[in-house]
Amino acid sequence: MRAVDVREVSFTYDDGTEALAGIHFRVEEGEFVAVLGSNGSGKTTLIQLLVGLLKTNAGRIEIGGREIGSLEAEELYQRVGLVFQNPNDQLFAATVEEDCAFGPRNLNLPEAEVQKRVTESLAAVAALPLRGRAIHHLSFGEQKRVSLAGVLAMRPAVLILDEPTAGLDPAGEAQMMQLLKKLNREEKMTVILATHSVDMLPLFANRIYVLDRGRVLQEGPSEEIFRHQEMIVRAKLRLPYVSRLMYEMKRHDGVPIDGLPLTIGEARAQLLELIPKEMILPGIEESGS
Amino acid sequence: MFDLFSDIFTYRDNALTRIDPRVKLLIALAALVAVVSAERPILPFGFFVLCLGTVAALGVPAKLVALRLAAPFSTVAVLVVIHTFVTGTTPLFTLTLGGWTLTAKAEGFRQGLFLGNRVLGALSIVLLLGIATPAHRIFQALRGFRISKEWVEVAILMYRYIFVLLDRVGDLAAAQRLRLGYRAPRRGLASFSALAGATIVHSFEQARRTHDAMRLRGYRGTMPFGPFPALKRRERGILLLGLAGILAAYAILEWGVAG
Repeated sequence: MRAVDVREVSFTYDDGTEALAGIHFRVEEGEFVAVLGSNGSGKTTLIQLLVGLLKTNAGRIEIGGREIGSLEAEELYQRVGLVFQNPNDQLFAATVEEDCAFGPRNLNLPEAEVQKRVTESLAAVAALPLRGRAIHHLSFGEQKRVSLAGVLAMRPAVLILDEPTAGLDPAGEAQMMQLLKKLNREEKMTVILATHSVDMLPLFANRIYVLDRGRVLQEGPSEEIFRHQEMIVRAKLRLPYVSRLMYEMKRHDGVPIDGLPLTIGEARAQLLELIPKEMILPGIEESGS
Repeated sequence: MFDLFSDIFTYRDNALTRIDPRVKLLIALAALVAVVSAERPILPFGFFVLCLGTVAALGVPAKLVALRLAAPFSTVAVLVVIHTFVTGTTPLFTLTLGGWTLTAKAEGFRQGLFLGNRVLGALSIVLLLGIATPAHRIFQALRGFRISKEWVEVAILMYRYIFVLLDRVGDLAAAQRLRLGYRAPRRGLASFSALAGATIVHSFEQARRTHDAMRLRGYRGTMPFGPFPALKRRERGILLLGLAGILAAYAILEWGVAG
C-alpha cells in the first residue's frame, strides 16, 4: 500500500515565493526515502504540506490512501509524525517523561497506556535513563533523541524528519541514523528524511528524491541518483566524499574503477581488487598497526 | 544569569526534595501568610534565618543564594531609605544633598526595617521552596489544587523557554561584544536595543514553531496533565506537623501564648 502519495502539488507563499511547482512524490509502506536538496529547494515546504501545517495551492496529497484534507487532526497525526530540525521547537514540557506523554494524553488514552508508550518510545531511542530529567539539562544529541521519542509515542505509521542529523557530532549522527534504520527495518516504520547531508544516505535510503527550486530533478535508488553528477551539481549538492575520491582517481589518475562506489565498503572492495595481492600485508589489522 | 535560574539543586536527593510538592507548597503558603500578617519582627526574621540555614545545610553555594537575594535586598534597602526619610517625627540625623536637606527619622527607620524584614522572610521561604522543588513539580501541584489550566500551561511554557531564550540572548550578546558592540555607552545602548528587539522577534518565532509542534501531537487548546495520586500517610503527617509548627510559632511569637 502507498503510505504517501503527492500528485501535481504546488505551493506559493504569500510573498509570491514559489516553493513547490507541480511535484510528484510517492512513498510505499515500509520504505526509507530521502528528500535531498540544498537550502531553499522546497524540502521543508514539502514536509509541512505532508503533515498539514500548510495547505496546497494545487494538487492532491494522500496519506495512507486518504486525502489529507479529509482526515481529522487526531487521525492524521497517528498516521504521520514530524520531528523538527531544532529540538527546542518541539520539546516544550519541563521533563522528558512529560514531553513524551503529551501526545498520548492528547489522544485521551488511559494513563497505563500512556506510561507504556512513554517507556517504549524512550527505549526505542535509547533514552530510557533520561526519563526523569529536565529537558534543559539534556545535551543537544539527547534532545534530538527525546524529540524523536515524543513523536514515536504517537505511533505514527509514517515518520518524517527534517534534517535529523543537523548539529550532531559524527557519533551522534551515526547513532541517529542507526536508530532510524532500526525503526524502519525492525518496526517496519515508513521513514521520510529531508536532508542535504549526502554521506550516509547510500547506506540507509531505499530511494532518494532530489529537489531543486521546488521541482523534482531526479528520483531513484542512490546508485542511480549519484550517477548523474551534473544533476547533483545543478542541485547545489555533492557526491559522498568516498565517491568523490574514487571519481577523482578514475578521472585524473586513470584508476580503472568500475561504476562509482557510494560507501566505504564498496570502495574498499574495489580497491582491494586493483592492488596486487603481494602488496597487501596479511594480518595487518590483527597486529594493530 | 544562568545561575539565577539554575535548578540543579532541586534534582538532588535529600529529605526535602523527597517530600510531595503539594505538601511543600501548602506549608510554604502557610508560612507566607504567617510572615505577611506578623506584627512583630521576630517571626519574619526567624523564618529568614531558618530558611537560609536550611539552604546552607543543603549545600547551596553562598554565591548563588546572594545572587538570588540581590534583588530583594535592593528592594529592602530602597524601602528602608524611603521610610527613614519620609515617615516619623523623631530626627536621627540630617543630610544635605545638592542644596536639599533630608532628615532621617527613627520611626521611619524602624518601620522600614520591619517591612524589609517581612519581605526578606517571605522571599527566603520562596527561595527554599525553589531550591527543594523542581519548577515542573510545583506546576503539577498547582494543577492538583485546581489552579486554572491556562495559567499553569503558560507558566510551564514560560519556564521551559526561559532557558532557550537565555541561550539565544547569550549567543547574540556575545556576537555583539565580539564586534565591539558595547565598547562605548552610546554604542552599548544601541546594541542592547537591538538585542531586546531580536529577543522579542525570536520569542514570537519560537512561539509559532512550538505551537505547530504541539498541534502535530494532538494539542487542542489544553495541555494534558498526568494523574494526581492521593497523599500518602507519611506526607499527610509531614503536612500536619509543618502546619502545626507554623501555628505554634505564630501563637508564641505573635500572641505571646507561652508568656
